[in-house]
Amino acid sequence: MATGGGSSEMPDHRKRNTFTSYVAPLPGDMRATADTNEWCLPSDLRDVHLARPRLLQGEQIVASAPAYMYSPIDPMDSGSGSGSSSNSNSGGNSESNPPHKEATFGLLSVTNFKLAFVPLHARRPTATAPLCDLYQENLYLGRNDVTLNNIDQIYTIAEQGRAASALQAARMASNSSRRKKLEPFKQHTINGRIAALHIICKNFRLLKFAFQQQDSKLSGVSDHGKLIASALVRFAYPMRHDLSFAYAYREPYYSTLGASGVSMYATKNDWARELIRCGATEWQVVSSNSVQLLQNPLQAGKYSVPPHFVIPKSCSVDRFLDLSRAFCDSRAAFWVYSYGSSAASLVRLAELQPAAQQDTKVENIMLELVRKCDERKQLKLLQLTDRLPSTQDVLRAYQKLRRLCTPETPEKFMLQDDKYLGLLEKTNWLFYVSLCLRYSSEAAATLRSSTTCVLQESNGRDLCCVISSLTQLLLDPHFRSIDGFQSLVQKEWIALEHPFQRRLGHVYSATNGGEQVLESEQSPVFLLFLDCVWQLLQQFPDEFEFSQTYLTTLWDACFMPIFDTFQFDNQAQRVRAVKDSPLVLRPVWDWSEQFTDKDKMFFSNPLYQRQRNEAMSHSSSAGLQNRRSLAVGQPGMAASTPSRNTINPQLFATHSSVPQDRYLLPAHRIFDLAVWDQCYYRWLPVLDIRGGGQAQVDLFHRLLLGNIAKVQRCLELQNIDDLPDAYYEATGEQRPNQQQTSSQDGGAPNVDQDGEPIEYVDGVERRRKTKVATPTNSLNSVGGSLQLATLSSFFPFGNPIAGDAPHQLYDILSSSTELLLDTSSILDRSSIV
Amino acid sequence: MDPSSSLADKLASKTASSNSLDSSSKSSSLGSKHGGGENGGLRDTPFAYLDGEEDQDQKNDVTYVCPYRGPVFGALTITNYRLYFRSLPLRDQGPPVVVDVPLGVIARVEKIGGATSRGENSYGIEIFCKDMRNLRFAHKQQNHSRRTVFEKLQTNAFPLSYSGRLFAFAHAAANAVNGSGGWDGWAVYEPLAELRRLGVPNDMWRATKINEAYAVCDSYPAVWAVPKAASDDFLRRVAQFRSRCRLPVLSWMNPRTQATITRCSQPLVGVSGKRNADDETYLSYIMEANAQSDKLTIMDARPSANAIANKAKGGGYESEDAYKNVEINFLNIHNIHVMRESLRKVKEACFPTTDDSKWQSAIDNTLWLKHIRCVLAGAVRIVDKVETMSTSVVVHCSDGWDRTAQLTALSMLLLDPHYRTVRGFEVLIEKEWLSFGHKFQQRVGHGDNKHSDADRSPVFLQFIDSVWQVGQQFNNAFEFNEHFLITIVDHLYSCRFGTFLCNTEAERVAEDLKHKTTSLWTHINSSLDQYLNPLFPSFTHGAELVLRPIASVRAVRLWKGLYCRWNPGLCAPQHGCQRTRELLSKQDLLFKHVNELRLKSNNRSNNMQTTTRLASPMH
Repeated sequence: MATGGGSSEMPDHRKRNTFTSYVAPLPGDMRATADTNEWCLPSDLRDVHLARPRLLQGEQIVASAPAYMYSPIDPMDSGSGSGSSSNSNSGGNSESNPPHKEATFGLLSVTNFKLAFVPLHARRPTATAPLCDLYQENLYLGRNDVTLNNIDQIYTIAEQGRAASALQAARMASNSSRRKKLEPFKQHTINGRIAALHIICKNFRLLKFAFQQQDSKLSGVSDHGKLIASALVRFAYPMRHDLSFAYAYREPYYSTLGASGVSMYATKNDWARELIRCGATEWQVVSSNSVQLLQNPLQAGKYSVPPHFVIPKSCSVDRFLDLSRAFCDSRAAFWVYSYGSSAASLVRLAELQPAAQQDTKVENIMLELVRKCDERKQLKLLQLTDRLPSTQDVLRAYQKLRRLCTPETPEKFMLQDDKYLGLLEKTNWLFYVSLCLRYSSEAAATLRSSTTCVLQESNGRDLCCVISSLTQLLLDPHFRSIDGFQSLVQKEWIALEHPFQRRLGHVYSATNGGEQVLESEQSPVFLLFLDCVWQLLQQFPDEFEFSQTYLTTLWDACFMPIFDTFQFDNQAQRVRAVKDSPLVLRPVWDWSEQFTDKDKMFFSNPLYQRQRNEAMSHSSSAGLQNRRSLAVGQPGMAASTPSRNTINPQLFATHSSVPQDRYLLPAHRIFDLAVWDQCYYRWLPVLDIRGGGQAQVDLFHRLLLGNIAKVQRCLELQNIDDLPDAYYEATGEQRPNQQQTSSQDGGAPNVDQDGEPIEYVDGVERRRKTKVATPTNSLNSVGGSLQLATLSSFFPFGNPIAGDAPHQLYDILSSSTELLLDTSSILDRSSIV
Repeated sequence: MDPSSSLADKLASKTASSNSLDSSSKSSSLGSKHGGGENGGLRDTPFAYLDGEEDQDQKNDVTYVCPYRGPVFGALTITNYRLYFRSLPLRDQGPPVVVDVPLGVIARVEKIGGATSRGENSYGIEIFCKDMRNLRFAHKQQNHSRRTVFEKLQTNAFPLSYSGRLFAFAHAAANAVNGSGGWDGWAVYEPLAELRRLGVPNDMWRATKINEAYAVCDSYPAVWAVPKAASDDFLRRVAQFRSRCRLPVLSWMNPRTQATITRCSQPLVGVSGKRNADDETYLSYIMEANAQSDKLTIMDARPSANAIANKAKGGGYESEDAYKNVEINFLNIHNIHVMRESLRKVKEACFPTTDDSKWQSAIDNTLWLKHIRCVLAGAVRIVDKVETMSTSVVVHCSDGWDRTAQLTALSMLLLDPHYRTVRGFEVLIEKEWLSFGHKFQQRVGHGDNKHSDADRSPVFLQFIDSVWQVGQQFNNAFEFNEHFLITIVDHLYSCRFGTFLCNTEAERVAEDLKHKTTSLWTHINSSLDQYLNPLFPSFTHGAELVLRPIASVRAVRLWKGLYCRWNPGLCAPQHGCQRTRELLSKQDLLFKHVNELRLKSNNRSNNMQTTTRLASPMH
């Protein structure tokens, strides 16, 4: 049977080390025999302590040790074909290949924030520095760092035999007898030396480190592996949340979110505004702190309601609270959204408490209250518990899926590959995605038919969040903009309190000491949601302002303790944390805290079309701001909505301002779904399509947009000297020589200042960029036709690539992206010209 | 925007991409898809007849048992080219159900039910198609309509079994009368010109017409490129040691490094391990023709077990002991029978309906994607040898016309961007598949009724699928789109064009296909626009010209647009490249405005210049 290269079936002829097989590894080819040289590097050992990780304020190193870092499966093993320049030099004599060039030597450190690896040989001439800034750079983490929060499982690989090298041990990791999982809470007596560590992260990353063996006469430290392992097991599984780095990081926070259109749903006004936007007139906002009952310390404990929630107007707050006690987590009928001219509502409801389940009277009363709010007195109850997976199901699916995405050896990779689709089916992950899309489509269809839809789930805080937010994404184009989406997450997940802390495993509360309890609490429900959104993005690539990179980054951001957004189970917990400790709240939506403008560019989707006919609607004017919020900052635009802080309902029309012709009808069969490769496969270089995949197509579209914007501006200013290269290519002309161009460049800004107020708003930063972009672009044209960079298909993740393409890429981005952010308006204007 | 209209657009574009048989400007837009669109100009005839197409039979009381919409009543027309069914107006006012199938697509026609059959629609005809669908028509027993339909289908779908001729001949004859105009697709591939493009002849390689009369090897083309060191007589001797005389001949050469891909059949080693000094010398010539490497790689497409088994039949593979500086690799691609069986399972999984809950494992069990992965992996290995190591590669399997053609054509496609253009791809098929004797007649079974013939196999389809896979991974690397590939697959079976008829170049010359039939490329190239990929312009900017697709089942997908296209329920919303086209046309429009602006300002400055010039003498 075909197993890839299949050199194992080689007949009796002389076995040579021929070209390594593709995807399939050679069973005998462990390439570990030539390791010895690499290990005798006393100078490295001395240098290694220079490679200290960069520390944040309040961050402390717990343990450090020299180590080798591996990529999980190297392309060299498996023929994506890259990195073979050395092969060609050696003229096919691959036995002389540099041994394990995929291994990087450096210093591995555990801090109270992260697991950091600082490579010592990073300054090799081949690994050119500019490459780094092409890939997503987190301001808090290096490329080889992960937060402790992100670490899910730690495996130790015990040393085998006396003489064998640690590297060999790392390679033999599949040999399960020596592979041991370190469990939280257990007192681990680590016997024998640890040759290697495998660390599986919640964001599908597999980190492999091998430790050098040392004779104790050379150095005092005897077992680096053990040092790191025990530090990790102590710090990666905090038993209390206040042990998290969030509490140690004291850096003050100055929000730049003020100008953005993200609604945090942290105030009564936020909810009231949403009610008005949706035209929901039969509902009222309740704030816990204005309800006496909830202020009474004796009574408040009986309720676990969020600070603000929306209930039927026809019901008094006290009655509502009284009824809500019958429901799990007191989650009785919270309004979240209304759609259409008759304002059919989307409502989230928990199930009755187990004790109250015999008597459904309360539930009926509650549903009746909701029904009365509907103009047509129609209501549909969608019981999610029967239809959707439980949180445990989601966790199991996720774990199986992650196993498929983190094979620790090429052999394992091939084994999985051979029956990949079958294994994928067994994970049930796509099945669950399919179900979520199906029932959110059903809920959306219900609202479209002017019927109120009630989503019911045990405590209304897990799958309810998924279905509810997907339903709104399907119906409302506002939520498909970046700020709209962030507002949606704030509303459905944060304000209505999805228990992120428990679901993402931020705290390993060992109250019962049992792992079972612990396991059942964890569940990546949020990832399930993000995956569904990604599927929608695949099916409707021009409907979303954000890119898949944004979604992937959002999943990564779940494990950044510095940002409070995904750190708490509920608002009360968050408030308590701030009160009891010097915790600084930082919303994750302030992306400038984590990323530079360059990386934020990749959050936008070059295919996005904001349609014109909604230009008058509220969501569009909010959208206009949204667009700016990603840009470098536009204070001029921010002050334009005086209605932000004072709301006079009388001023607003009573009907919904949500456009009703922009709903999506997604396909939801497994047949129509795909695996989110960027998020799940990005740590597997073997699956990286160099120069292919979506990244390359996106880049082309960014270039196109850049060209359009540039010509647009030229036409507006009646200045045709600064045309994009594509123009000269299309007309077959030579670009006028460079001196001419640059001399006219000097003149251009003056005109700009008259014609383009945007240039002012941005200030120095923006103008500098615009100017820089022009000459470099003309440099390209001097060298012939414009060359697009060759990207990793996981871009901006994945591994750096060779060549000098990055500079050009950066130019394309910087010249196009400021304009890209204005996608729709540019195109509108161009259609007018 | 109006969502319903945009949905209709999407559906329309979907129709276009899923069915290519009626894309000629002459024929109607009625697809062989359920619910094809309306065509205003053609009220009288249900479809536009092709040149040379004639009615054979028509029945007005036939029921098409549609697997999706249930039985629909309507009229069935059979011509010498197609089977056409159109339902009578339906009660629900929906679009009519239309089935439009070229008879060449039909693999088998069976009667179902007898005179005594009871029950609704139990008496009629079932048609099994080569393009992954079956059709069932029910007749009424009493009016004996079935017999003539069955007979007409048999004689027109399988003309070769009934001493008739394929439709391509009638089509071209009538076409010639009407005058086709345009240029000739038969001229796309000019062997010597293509060799010149690769830099042959040169110091090491020459073109030879030794096989002009197809006397040395009857399944090879007339023109070969061979190492200069080998004389014609020598070539004849080498041919004797290769299965069916298919000796190593040049497929491709890297003009920069001179590393080559040559193709051949297996050596006649046999159980005793025969050696042939000429063959060994000949391979060393091939190796020496490439100064960059002192090695030669032989890629045997078969699994090594099969290669060994072939020794019993007198074949085998080159031993590394006998051939100096040669290394042999086995690429593990299975034979035509395995592939046929695998595709049969794909059909089972895709038609008529799919089980969504078991969809992934159903596809897994067909092993089709694993086979595709092997073909891709093999091609990538060849690419790495030729491109990265600058080593020449010899590719063979058993006869060198199935798996070998897949591997050489695919690796050439990955290595040479020229083959990724429409013209280049046509050349590639003409060269590697047609001229080197892939037995299209046998593998497809044009016009004969031996539906269970063991020689039939979807080898070429598998190649097209592999090309599609590469296109999926490198969206911008091809000038053509998915529709182009589907068109090729459709006309692989349709017998409307002469391109895929016969087994070898010799047969094609004997049949004079160039003059008696039309080339598919004539048809395609006369309406290129619909086959172009709007993303391609971005590739011409790309730095990386050699493609290295990922050969993993994780990266290989089932080609739903081809295999699942008959199920209207499976038409997922296709985004296509609509937005890209919009942006491109917007850019072009703006460029036009700039042109106008420049023209105006040039005029103005010219005027100014002239006025100043006029003014100056005054001073």
